[in-house]
This record gives sequence, C-alpha cells and structure tokens, in this order.
Amino acid sequence: MSDAIIELRDVGVAFNAQLRMGAPRFWALENVDLALPRGARLGVVGRNGAGKSTLLRVLAGILAPDRGRIRRERVSCQLLSLALGFVPYLSGRDNAILSGLMLGLRRREIEQRLQAILEFSELGDFFEQPVSSYSTGMFTRLGFSVAMQVEPDVLLIDEVLAVGDTEFQKKSGAALRERIHSGTTVVFVSHADAQIREICDCAVWIEHGRSMMQGAVGEVLAAYHAAAPPAEAAQ
Amino acid sequence: MRLHWLELILFSTYAELRAERARSYLGFLWWIIEPAMNMATYYLVFAIVLKTGQRDYVPFLLVGLTLWQWFKSGVSHGGQSIWQQLGLIRQVRLPLQVFPSVQILADTVKFAFILGLLLVILWAYGYRPNVTYFALIPVLLVELVFTAAVAYLVAAAMPFVPDLRFVIEQVLQVVMFFSGVVFSLDSIPPALRRWFELNPLVELIDAGRDILMYARWPDWIALGRVALISLAFFALGTYLIQRYSPRYVKLPT
Repeated sequence: MSDAIIELRDVGVAFNAQLRMGAPRFWALENVDLALPRGARLGVVGRNGAGKSTLLRVLAGILAPDRGRIRRERVSCQLLSLALGFVPYLSGRDNAILSGLMLGLRRREIEQRLQAILEFSELGDFFEQPVSSYSTGMFTRLGFSVAMQVEPDVLLIDEVLAVGDTEFQKKSGAALRERIHSGTTVVFVSHADAQIREICDCAVWIEHGRSMMQGAVGEVLAAYHAAAPPAEAAQ
Repeated sequence: MRLHWLELILFSTYAELRAERARSYLGFLWWIIEPAMNMATYYLVFAIVLKTGQRDYVPFLLVGLTLWQWFKSGVSHGGQSIWQQLGLIRQVRLPLQVFPSVQILADTVKFAFILGLLLVILWAYGYRPNVTYFALIPVLLVELVFTAAVAYLVAAAMPFVPDLRFVIEQVLQVVMFFSGVVFSLDSIPPALRRWFELNPLVELIDAGRDILMYARWPDWIALGRVALISLAFFALGTYLIQRYSPRYVKLPT
C-alpha cells in the first residue's frame, strides 16, 4: 500500500532478557509486515505474549526495530497512557501540566485545557490537592482526562477503552469512541472480538511475533480463531 | 533542543523541588540544614579534633565543601536519573537528557541557598564582598557544565550497569579528598601536584577560594582549559545518551 502513513517490513525487535554478560536476546517481534493507511482503524489480535504491545510501542516510536525496515511519514503517534509520570506529592493541577508536557503538549496549550480537565475529571476542589490523597477512582479520572487532551495523528490504544467506576466508564468510553470515530488513525489492541468488530475497519493477526494476516476484520478474526487451539477458541 | 523540552525540564525541576519539600516536616529548610550539618561534621573532625591548624581553615573548608557538594549531588542524582526513569521511558518518547538535566537544575537551586548562607558566614568572618565577585559567574557556569558532563556520562552508563550506583558514592568520596576540599593540596610534592591539577574541580575550588577569601582574580587560562574539557565531556555525554537511547528501553528493569 502506497498511501500508508506507517509501514513495517520484516520488522523484528529483541530485548535483553537479563542483565548478564552474553545473555541471549529475546525476540518479542520476529517478522512483522504492516501497513497503516491514513484514517484507518486497525485492530491487532493475537494470543497473550504474541507481541501485540511490543508492536504498539514500535508504532509509537518508543522501540526501534533491530531488523527490518520502518517507514513513517511525519505523523505524531501517541500511546494512550494514563497517569503518565504522575508524582504523588504534587497537586492534580501540577500533575496535569507535567503529564501534558511529557505527552508533547506545550505549557500554554495545557493551561488552556486545565479547565476542561478539571470539569471532565469531576475532581472539584481535589484538583488542588496532592494526588497521593486521591482514591483510585479519582486518580484514574484525572489520568484519563489528561490523556484525552493530546490529539495525536495516530492514536495507539492497548486494551483500555473505558476506565473508572460504572458512572465514569460510560463517560470515558463515550469520549474515547468519539475521538476514535473523529477520523483519527487508530491502532487498537484487544482480546475482545466484539470490541474489535465495533471499532475497527481492518485488522492484523500477530502470532509468535509474526504477522500472519492483515485484512478485513471478519476474515482476520475467522482465520485467527480457525487456527486457535480448541481450548483457547472456546474461551 | 526544542523549546518544548525546555518547558518540560523547567516544570519537572519545579515539580521535583516541590515534591521534595512536601516529603518532610521541615520541607525546604532541609536544603540548608542538611549541608550545614554536613559542614559541621567536617568542621568538628578536621578543625577541632584533628586540629588542621592552617590559617583561615574554616572559610577554606566551607568554600570547598559548598562547591563540592553541588558537584557531588548533581552527579549522584543526575547519574541515577535515566536508570530510575526506565519505566517512564517505556511509555513515552522523550529526549533522555531531560532527566539528568532536571536533577542538576534542582540541585543548583538548592546550591543557590547554600551559597547565600556561605556568603553570609564569610561576611561575618570579615571577608568582604569585592570586585572579583564578578568572576564567580564564569567559575560557577564552568562548574555547572562540568557537573552536567560527568552526570550525563554516568547517566548514560548506569542503565547498562546498575551496579554503578553502589560504586559511585565511594568514588565521589575519594575524589573529594583528591580535590583539595578538606585539606590543601599545597602539602603534596610539586611533581605529584601536577597530576592532581588535571582534576577540573581542583581549579574550580581554588578559583572559588581566590575570589571569596583573597579578592584575587582566578587563573583565567586554567579556567579556560577546564571550560574546554567540560564542554568536550558534555558533548560526549550528550552523544552517548542519544546514541544509546534506543537500547535503554530494551533492557530488563
């Protein structure tokens, strides 16, 4: 595909499994071919440990391939990460600014969005309190609200579609789906077929660090399940 | 470096200092009390117990310790910073020089407090402010670059060899004694002293004492040489961090 904004060819990524001289490297990705067209909503399916998350981090530009080639146009890619770089002793406001800067926003841009973050996270006066005093739910709400302020060209999502308690799950799920369907290019990793079918317009199947198939959602899921061992297919 | 990363460094430094202040009852008073206690310890051991009877020993010691502690804390905090942030680095793409730079800047802010305290003590001792104080600006700038250079080099190596963190404090302790912080290097035979003077800290601390105690201008040629060495190491450290950035993310935690 020539209209791809990111294209991987025979990409492999190796990790150092241990801190020891001469320790063997572990290939989390062996051989991946992938083309991500602009505006596509690509689902990534595969078993645990197949290399799906590693693939996302290659797309995000965090991991460089150890072999193969990657071609990317000038696009910003961002992994949807909640509570990135949060410091416990800082207020919600300061953490929002810090996290936003790490996610690539300018200071001015974040400050313009602080009001929106405050409103979406429903933190009220707690916004000025240290996040160490937050409940888990409050922490997640702030993290999600900050993460949603970043508008990358390619949004990378690892399993998370909604966060927080029941109430906030509806709200965060709706906000994320709205973002996904606003024309952004999306790469979405999930174990849930239903979610992949709902969100994605194409899919890729990764098995043991290799890309087995890329194409229409229905066909890829069918092939993936046909190849699954009976025990797993039943799940 | 893009303006955006400068904003991140400055705000992270603020966050670091703010968080540190919140972690104790006395907060930022510790930035003064802790080094003051450290100085008192050396004063007790070397001036009172061992009677290091050189003239002007107290100001000599305090100037040396103040300049030394800035370097030491910058190197030990900055040196660990990339290794400590490996978890974050796996999540987001950032220029990794940000992390040691934040630590060094935070330590520089704390150094500013101690320097202020030092000046007050020196004035109380009768060492008046003088025109050579202007030379403090280049001396401190060179020390900042040298600290950053060493911190970058250690920070670049630490993710590969985390064991370094056990060694670094000990090495710094030895370097302190070889830098003429607590006792003068004048007692060392001249032939040997030439080798000691290769250590940039010797020159920087001497320059600090010349200015603050004797109203003498520093040895500009020696300072220029130290500045060049520092810049060269700084460039090397920056290069190594950039070069190895893709590999840090693939190391085990």
